[in-house]
Amino acid sequence: MKKIIAFVLLFAFGFSGCEKDDICDANTPTTPRLVISFYDINIPSLKKKVTRLKVIGEGQTEGIVFNKTAIDETKYLTSGDSISIPLKPDVDTVTYSFILNSGSTNAALINTDVIKFNYTRQNAYVSRACGFKTIFKLDTQAPFERQPDTDSPWMQVIEVKNANIERENETHLKVYF
Amino acid sequence: MKHILKYIFSICLLFSVFLAQAQDTTVTKEIIQEKTKSETKKPIVKEVLKDSIPKTDRYGLRVGVDLYKLTRGFYDKDYKGIEVVGDFRLTKKYYLAAELGFEDKTTEDTRLNSTATGTYIKAGFDYNTYENWLDMENLITVGLRGGFSTFSQDLNSYKIYNPNPYFGELPVITEGQKYSGLSAGWLEVTAGLKAKVFNNVFVGFGVQLKLLVMNTKPSGFDNLYIPGFNRTYDGSFGIGFNYTVSYFIPLYKKKVIIPEIKK
Repeated sequence: MKKIIAFVLLFAFGFSGCEKDDICDANTPTTPRLVISFYDINIPSLKKKVTRLKVIGEGQTEGIVFNKTAIDETKYLTSGDSISIPLKPDVDTVTYSFILNSGSTNAALINTDVIKFNYTRQNAYVSRACGFKTIFKLDTQAPFERQPDTDSPWMQVIEVKNANIERENETHLKVYF
Repeated sequence: MKHILKYIFSICLLFSVFLAQAQDTTVTKEIIQEKTKSETKKPIVKEVLKDSIPKTDRYGLRVGVDLYKLTRGFYDKDYKGIEVVGDFRLTKKYYLAAELGFEDKTTEDTRLNSTATGTYIKAGFDYNTYENWLDMENLITVGLRGGFSTFSQDLNSYKIYNPNPYFGELPVITEGQKYSGLSAGWLEVTAGLKAKVFNNVFVGFGVQLKLLVMNTKPSGFDNLYIPGFNRTYDGSFGIGFNYTVSYFIPLYKKKVIIPEIKK
């Protein structure tokens, strides 16, 4: 009898270590974004910061929010050396406009590059709470295509570092300017 | 904070072990004292007992059905199930016990909708802790079971989790996919109650704590519901409940040996 009670208690001990599992933890790797890092064209090993870069997806009116705490137009601007942009989990291409020196008073400095990304998609199971995620693989033939725009490109060289977009802690594309 | 709560709870559980033991010893002491008192007072009663018709225990097979699973299908459109229960009395205290069932359950989570269908068997023993008076045949049992289930899962619909919905929310994907040939095994600790309501008819209820020991997961998905085991959690534990009505088929009788009180 005592043994049985001990066994039940052992079970109860096991229960005490349990956690609620129906809320998707923000740290769980789910659908990843495309990570682009910027490098200096003259010294290719050196990371270079962009100035007031704004990224707008095709068909969208607002840019991607890079700075959540900022107000007005500045929240769409970044001056870092890497960006993360979402891909479309329901179609195989996405087109973005990369506007350098966005909102500058000197109109000559503003430079827009339009790039179309081509990729394949795969849906993978994550957990009960998070459901599924989509992982991407950049097309081997044409991972990106420059779209015609009015000015000369500011992105001089674009290089695929990692075609498999599964995590956000690594660079997928390198841009030299 | 979460961890502190967990520790407090665990410590409380640990103390409860000592609590149970402490009570045990005091109770036995009292009984001994009572026994010594009664022996001197009632020698006549003992003699009467010996002369009277000897008490017999009935042995046999008890079969029943889980009413909870059976009736749930009427009000829960996502559930269909049946469980047949049976036990056979081996000794005065021990019973061989088994459950056999079928379940079809649709689980609706916030991002997933899946249906698990399959059969299961559970077998083990029950130990009756209840001291019956005269010809009462009630049971308060604790027991152990091993469970095994074979089943299939249908992924009915799912959502893609996208933490950056820049292009808007994604629609639900209703792409039917079936994962079959799945199996799972688990251990159960049960606690239950069975009361004789009239003649050979018993009603009872029981709770089960389950520990998953074997689980073949489909590639690219998970077993969210296992028939007989119920919902799965991140860990390997589970819980269950049943409410049974059963009929006792008496097979043979055994005389009860009244243990003589030794000095």
